[in-house]
Amino acid sequence: MSMSRSPSPHPGAGWSSPGLTPGSGTSTPRSGYLSPNHLGANGISWATAKAKSDEVRGYPSFSTRNNGFFSRSKRQISATLPRFRLNTGSSPNGYYVDKDEYGRGPKSGSGRSWLPFGGFGRSMFRRKRSRLLLLLITLGIGYLWFWSVIVETYRRSSFGGGRKFVIILQSNIEGGVMEWKGAREWAIERNSIRNKQQYAKRWGYEVELVNMLAKKRYSHEWRESWEKVDLIRETMRKYPEAEWFWWLDLNTWVMEESYSLQEHIFNRLEDITYRDINFYNPLNISHPLTEGYLDEISRSPAGDEHPSSIQLLLTQDCGGFNLGSFFVHRSLWTDRLLDAWWDPVMYEQKHMEWEHKEQDALEYLYVSQPWIRSSVGFMPQRYVNSFPPGACGDDDPDVHYKEGGRDFLVNMAGCNYGRDCWTEMVEYREYSKWLNRSWWERTRGGLSGWYEKLAPGKQKQQ
Amino acid sequence: MQFALPPRRNLHAPYPNSSRLSFQRRRQLKAVAILGFTLLAVFFLLSQILYSSTGTSAVPAGTPSIVLVTVLDRALWSDNYIQKIIKNREDYAKRHGYTNFFANWSDYEPSLEGSPRSWGMVPAMRHAMASHPYSKYFFYLDTHALIMNPSQPLESHLLDKNRLESLIQKDVSVVPPDSIIKTFSHLQPEDIDLIITTDNEDMNPGSFVLKQGEFSRFLLDVWFDPLYRNYNFAKAETHALDHIVQWHPTVLSRLALVPQRIINAYSKESNGAGKDGSYKEGDFIIRFFGCDSDPKRNCEKELDPYYNLWAKKLKNE
Repeated sequence: MSMSRSPSPHPGAGWSSPGLTPGSGTSTPRSGYLSPNHLGANGISWATAKAKSDEVRGYPSFSTRNNGFFSRSKRQISATLPRFRLNTGSSPNGYYVDKDEYGRGPKSGSGRSWLPFGGFGRSMFRRKRSRLLLLLITLGIGYLWFWSVIVETYRRSSFGGGRKFVIILQSNIEGGVMEWKGAREWAIERNSIRNKQQYAKRWGYEVELVNMLAKKRYSHEWRESWEKVDLIRETMRKYPEAEWFWWLDLNTWVMEESYSLQEHIFNRLEDITYRDINFYNPLNISHPLTEGYLDEISRSPAGDEHPSSIQLLLTQDCGGFNLGSFFVHRSLWTDRLLDAWWDPVMYEQKHMEWEHKEQDALEYLYVSQPWIRSSVGFMPQRYVNSFPPGACGDDDPDVHYKEGGRDFLVNMAGCNYGRDCWTEMVEYREYSKWLNRSWWERTRGGLSGWYEKLAPGKQKQQ
Repeated sequence: MQFALPPRRNLHAPYPNSSRLSFQRRRQLKAVAILGFTLLAVFFLLSQILYSSTGTSAVPAGTPSIVLVTVLDRALWSDNYIQKIIKNREDYAKRHGYTNFFANWSDYEPSLEGSPRSWGMVPAMRHAMASHPYSKYFFYLDTHALIMNPSQPLESHLLDKNRLESLIQKDVSVVPPDSIIKTFSHLQPEDIDLIITTDNEDMNPGSFVLKQGEFSRFLLDVWFDPLYRNYNFAKAETHALDHIVQWHPTVLSRLALVPQRIINAYSKESNGAGKDGSYKEGDFIIRFFGCDSDPKRNCEKELDPYYNLWAKKLKNE
């Protein structure tokens, strides 16, 4: 099964693995040197794969987004705006308060920048009462119409902190020639994307849709679902300002759009993460490491215990690591992890065992390479990755979405296997809508409920 | 825009009134400004203190900057032989204020899980770094080697920025003779964490310098991965390193290849020296490469003449 030494990558031939060739059914001799661009049955060539991938994965060096006049000037305007008071306990001047916008924003410092022209206004008031009224009305209308736009623009600007986060959403799974997508698959994709885009728009994040179209490149190198690693790396290059990258599978639903990533997770990393895997250890990984030659941090159960050293933030389900929803931080450490994640020698030996591919590989690396442990943080699953009830083992309350628990995100993991993804998604979509209905819908619902109590008969007739 | 010019009637505003106001206002403003400035200054000072207390870890006095790492396999080699090696290296370390880390191969035996003995050097390096957390450079030198030019400090010989810059081999194949993976042509000395040489066939980990830091932990842990150790590489850790460097650009980007004779000159009995890789009088180090694996050779015998040469030189000084 193994070679005396690992072959170097050489022009015209990819990773040649004698152990695998018979099994994979390709026994044609190498044609690599004859034509460097020929994608022989023996495998895509190293050099061409690289050139190809540059071509396919490349993105224009200039930005194609924000080219319109309005979006450009919006950005400029927002950069010169004063800091807005995003969150107020009491409404500042008796204006109409949109419940959806107010009271949920990040808590920024209180300021009175709201009415910078108090004294000026008073003198105006005596003489120009009508003018003031007009101004108030304009402001009121402007507020009603544009307030959320202003807040969103602010969050998207460099002050707002929204640019630090990029959501990487997989799409077009098995698209292309492999499988025709049906109406349901399209609907799932449309809905899921829309959900993330809405969420990202509200908080000023970016959504990067990555195309998981089955590619010859990966099928040839037997690394079908390993493009996750490449895609993360590309996204990091594309958004140089972003710090955290949130990978999301397609079958997920953001239930609580009002939670910002900052408030929900990153401002309280220390409180909600655990570094010592013994806290919840479905894989029974022996931790901490005890080898005497390791340094103190590698041997400590919780790394250096500074939340700033967390570079990979993930959750575990009942079967181990779960990569349906996880965060990576831009850093040298992450570069190294992404680089080490796929290695031909390891893959060649383990690809039959590693059913969940990159997930298993990560678990393996975590177990066998101490440098990784000290920068991985875990979160209880329900912070970012709740499963639908019954998806994983028995009714473990720490794994599954709980009604009324206001969990942030549902990951309909495994819905492709014997469950109905679309129905589940619709259920969660509607439930999320109902949970986050506006005050008007709430009152109406309350009133009709009250009415129902008073006259149950009439309601039934309707 | 309508207030760009003051309206005419403002000129007739009661002056004493407004100047009294502005006087009060000025005093208030002054107070506020002073207060604000003081607060800022205090905050700045505090943050400086807090930052420096967490940002830089104080290096205890007397920390050696360079640690020489040797793995001693007492089960295989006579005590006499091992004493000679130790003497040679202790003398060198003492001259320049370095420290030796002599590791016992048997300490790592359980972690090797049956892989070839030569893998012991990887955990030994990790061990040395854990025991000397404040030292910067770790120089691993195979057991079967002598330092022949002990007056040469490692800094001016290899590590100084200018010296290293002149030694780095750019755009050459990392695995001789013709790997298409080549060292980067834009390498800067400050990016370098691993300094190593190639011989005729491989990148040779019998003599290399590794800088302590995140990179070193990453490299050593990847290198020591059980799947590499179980892969039956013909040359064990040597081939594993060849493999890592060729397939993982994050390692390649931190690696400097230097001419073989700088830290890894082979004795004339050793096979496989690269071009201009054989020991010449005055070279820093001589290695008896392969004397332990070739049954026809005898390390102890090969060492003796050079050891005597070194001892004589020492006496004359």
